[in-house]
Amino acid sequence: MADQAQELRARIFLRSCLPLVKVVLEERSAYRKLLYRAGGAVQFAAADSEQGAWVELTPEGLDVKQGKHPSPSITLTFKALRDMNEFFAGGLALPRVSGIAGLPSLLRLLPFLLKLKMLLPDVIPEDPDEKALKVRMLLFMVTNALSQLNKGGDEAMAKYAKTSPDRIFQLTVENGGPAAYLRIKAGRSKAGRGTYTRRRPYVHMIFPDSEGAFDVLTQHFSNVEAVRLGKLRMEGAMEGGKEIGLLMQRIEAITTGAV
Amino acid sequence: MSTATPTAGKPAKKAAKATGLTWTIADADHMTQAEIYGEVLTQAALKDGRVVALTADLAKSTKIGKFEQKVPERFFNFGIAEANMFAVASGMAETGLIPVVSTFAVFASLRAAEFVRTDVCYQKRNVKIIGTHSGTSFGQAGTTHHCTEDIAVMRCLANMTVIAPADARATAKAVEAMLAHDGPVYIRIGRGFEPPCYKDMDFEFTIGKSNLLRDGTDITVIAAGIPVLQAVEAADRVKPDGVSVRVIDMHTIKPIDEEAIVRAVQDTRRLITVEDHTVVGGLGTAVADVIAKSGKGCAFRKLGYQDEYSIVGYPEDLQHRYGIDADGIVSAIGEVLKQDFEQDEDWEDE
Repeated sequence: MADQAQELRARIFLRSCLPLVKVVLEERSAYRKLLYRAGGAVQFAAADSEQGAWVELTPEGLDVKQGKHPSPSITLTFKALRDMNEFFAGGLALPRVSGIAGLPSLLRLLPFLLKLKMLLPDVIPEDPDEKALKVRMLLFMVTNALSQLNKGGDEAMAKYAKTSPDRIFQLTVENGGPAAYLRIKAGRSKAGRGTYTRRRPYVHMIFPDSEGAFDVLTQHFSNVEAVRLGKLRMEGAMEGGKEIGLLMQRIEAITTGAV
Repeated sequence: MSTATPTAGKPAKKAAKATGLTWTIADADHMTQAEIYGEVLTQAALKDGRVVALTADLAKSTKIGKFEQKVPERFFNFGIAEANMFAVASGMAETGLIPVVSTFAVFASLRAAEFVRTDVCYQKRNVKIIGTHSGTSFGQAGTTHHCTEDIAVMRCLANMTVIAPADARATAKAVEAMLAHDGPVYIRIGRGFEPPCYKDMDFEFTIGKSNLLRDGTDITVIAAGIPVLQAVEAADRVKPDGVSVRVIDMHTIKPIDEEAIVRAVQDTRRLITVEDHTVVGGLGTAVADVIAKSGKGCAFRKLGYQDEYSIVGYPEDLQHRYGIDADGIVSAIGEVLKQDFEQDEDWEDE
């Protein structure tokens, strides 16, 4: 069996990162042609873990489901969960491929998977559209990953969530940019897209534009520096902003395999 | 809603001058709400010949003896005849005077209730009423002298404005606002000896506009009168535990600051009201009315006398017993934070 750290890492890749292939499709219309007459399911699995996920391809779009598909078109089984994690982290790890008839589905999916590399810290696009896409994906990934940390039993995050009253951590890019939130309440958590409207955020990180958000989320500037430069506004509990900032750093540490 | 800085129970280091007044609060820590009221009223009478004071054998207890000394020709003692006093006050108002009636809250709101309704409110006469010894501020005098129903009685009377200032400084401002207001006004204050809540006179007091004393996002405590300071202390006490509490001084209970309440519901989704009064018909009920009208869901708790009469005792002991002191508010905050109130229980990540 894979160890707890690898299980948690896989959980973030499979539940927080892999579903972002749908965002790629929403934001890049050129990718839609890859789904012309598509049909099939690409399964990702590891021999030493129960965790897995599959991507369903149809002409209408992509869908990502957790678990094992009853009859996938093609299955990529990694020898160990650690290898699967390395694969999603952009490293070299070759899986055993079964169901060669599903190869076209994998080939259709491949450009989407490659686009996910944009999430890696060292990928710094120059094009403003690509920067905006990275910001959108990071916002959704980070909020989702924080929730997954809690649900996956990460000690620090679970402890924080357990003692938390009903609180919203909202991230918003103004001027038509994306928004995402994390809700925590007495041990439970939920990541959502858009603006949570039922209550005021406990912490609200507001980026005036996508460019500023990119600079902050890629850690070109610290939060303090970004606030000083007007690239970020913080509303609500400052101490909460610090706490969530530390947990966000933990996501990066986990996904890059630093812990 | 305006913002102000409360002392959270710490004594004011330096007394401040009240803008627009000739008197000063030399040391408000040693003056009761009633004493301040007596001072402000006397000064107002010296400036404005229309101001007259009426009492029913309680000039000393309600601290308007100074008025009698300074402006004896405009001071009227009716003996123990409260109903008659309100009838006369109504007639005085009709002639253009500004009668200010001072008596215990229990007598103004209950014994003389019909006259307040028919002669003052129904006629929309410019009569001002100061109910002292409200709530259980005169706890040791016994239940007959407690007054935990006056807000409910007064706020159900049409045309009546109902105010419960938090401390002596707020009382000074409330009396000024009351005299400037055209129409019946009821101000409820304590017996005295209540610790200060506002550290100086540098805060706004507008009838119908609450004061934000602490901002927070986890829960809102709305208080009126003496419990405001207790709410501030409770908020400060739970802050180190990471609980972010908004505290609102809802000094005007009618007309109530609906905007501040709806914003608090929207922002924090958890509300507690605290009043030195029965929870039936008082501040909590007024706030609940606004919440219901808004159609927004929230967890809600009313602290006060839970449809019962208070036992006899010192005010601080009674406040503790009935959960309207800082201890009780802290306890209620913990409970309401855990309370579920809506079907927003979808925990599936998007």
